[in-house]
Amino acid sequence: MAQIKLISLQDAVQRYSWDGMQYASGAALPIGSDAIVFGRELLRQGRRDLHAVFHCSSQQLNLLAAAGVVTKAECGFSALEVFGFANGLRRAVESGRMALEDYSNLGLPLRLLGGALNWPFVPATVNIGSDLQYRSAFAPDDYPSQSKIPTVVDPFTGRQIGAFSPLKPDLAAIHVTLADPFGNCIMLGTEWSRVELSRAAKKVVIIADAIVDTDCIRQYPNLVRIPDIVVEAVVHWPFAAWPQSSPGMYDVDEAHMKFMNKALATEDGTAAYIRDFVDGYHDVDSYLDMIGRDKLAELSASTTSFLLDPYRRWILTPEQVAALQVTGAAA
Amino acid sequence: MSQALDYTRQEMMAIATGREVKDGELAIFGVGLSMLAGYFAQANHAPHLRTMTEGGVYGATPVGGLPWGIECNRISTNATSFTSAIDALGFLVASGRCDVGVIGAAQVDKFGNVNTTGIWDGEIGAHYRPPKIRLPGAGGANDIACGAKRFIIMVTHEPKRFAEKVTYLSSPGYLDGGNARDRFGFVGGGPSAIITTLGILRPDPQTKEFQLDGWFPFSSIDEIKAHTGWDLKVSPDARVIAEPSATELANLRKVDETGALRKH
Repeated sequence: MAQIKLISLQDAVQRYSWDGMQYASGAALPIGSDAIVFGRELLRQGRRDLHAVFHCSSQQLNLLAAAGVVTKAECGFSALEVFGFANGLRRAVESGRMALEDYSNLGLPLRLLGGALNWPFVPATVNIGSDLQYRSAFAPDDYPSQSKIPTVVDPFTGRQIGAFSPLKPDLAAIHVTLADPFGNCIMLGTEWSRVELSRAAKKVVIIADAIVDTDCIRQYPNLVRIPDIVVEAVVHWPFAAWPQSSPGMYDVDEAHMKFMNKALATEDGTAAYIRDFVDGYHDVDSYLDMIGRDKLAELSASTTSFLLDPYRRWILTPEQVAALQVTGAAA
Repeated sequence: MSQALDYTRQEMMAIATGREVKDGELAIFGVGLSMLAGYFAQANHAPHLRTMTEGGVYGATPVGGLPWGIECNRISTNATSFTSAIDALGFLVASGRCDVGVIGAAQVDKFGNVNTTGIWDGEIGAHYRPPKIRLPGAGGANDIACGAKRFIIMVTHEPKRFAEKVTYLSSPGYLDGGNARDRFGFVGGGPSAIITTLGILRPDPQTKEFQLDGWFPFSSIDEIKAHTGWDLKVSPDARVIAEPSATELANLRKVDETGALRKH
């Protein structure tokens, strides 16, 4: 019998993170899914010197970089799409405080796939022949870099290709739409690289917008792309990706996306943001109050809401989740 | 925008880009204006275009204006498939299946190489030092540049963006020109056009150096040469490009509901 893995966010960060670790978040989309609230809790507990593995920079990496707790980062993309440059990340890179190793949006998940399969390397037919191959922020004097994406020979054709190093992050905090108490997950919207990440990371903590009964999982087993057998812990946290969006659940909070990015552009703004939006709550209820109940209603009135319809009948109430958390914490 | 026009330079650029995309093709669009150009083509003359974003969102059309990203709710309302990055950029692009991609650029050079990583004072040098301005990075553009059968670069035509050689090569065009791409065995064919706010540049078939192929009704050869950071050659076939038709403009504005292309 599977074990109930629901625990609090505070416990999850306490148990599974440490200073200097290689920390990955999923989906690490700049506007959509990401375990942003996990990053807020990393800051609350004073974690530092992180080596961040993010498929793309989200507002979470923007915040952690702005706060100065990330020393190294690896990304395929490092801005906020139509919301512009990620100002906190920009400051960290331009000041030299954070070394940012660049790959592409295919290169990064291929490295996770390599980690997931325990491959020694992954053949690279992209990123080669460009400065993604020749320039290394982790070894800045190795130019053209021989160590980042080394050239290897395809034994079948004799052609020169590249070799991607596999990634196996110490921890992946992965945001999903729905999880059952055991860690079986359903993602609405693109998976991006959450499947590869969930198999590459040494430990996986799930951050779910809603908890569903396992009957839901048994109704749609084909949709369960992250199964409980790879999951250590499950955290229930509504609006976990805020101010980003979660298809079926809530839209992007345009005003806060801009407000947050503007704040992270300066040291003072970052300190004020942390005071108000990282240390400004103590549990789920006060977190939701902080966003504002009217705002929550507005964000929830998403044109994507119909995507959630097939699953609604299995969503557990906060009381049911709280009872399961007691069991999970004792386990 | 110029007073005499009832469309903006950005709209002209988007429409000229959309015209490059043919019905029935498998197409991938980067975020922002390239996405508008692509979905314009679908709304205008390519109803059977098979569209995808690198976020693995297929079969969708934007609702409520320019999507905030490759995966945001504005592009997730009517999708027929949500998959993944390895599916979109790998199975469908790196495989060689994708017909055409549209990407943006902060800086582009005469061989169609693209920089979206950073701006430095002068050359970077042997030691990789932090940029003066950190840009978004390669994203999916490197993968599209390596894998799509052809790709189109959409870029605002300013001298600082049109360099003899990019400071940092994020996404490969024709590298040093000629057959340089062959050294890496890329499955994709390289950039077929650079479409700007002033005109259209296409590669010379042998040298692969980009030359002027057309100017817009509101621009001129002289203006384009003055805004290009290398000694731009003019193709003997260079001609004025037809301005947007009323239908094209209406179809573009249907896609660009929030007027992202009318702000400049």
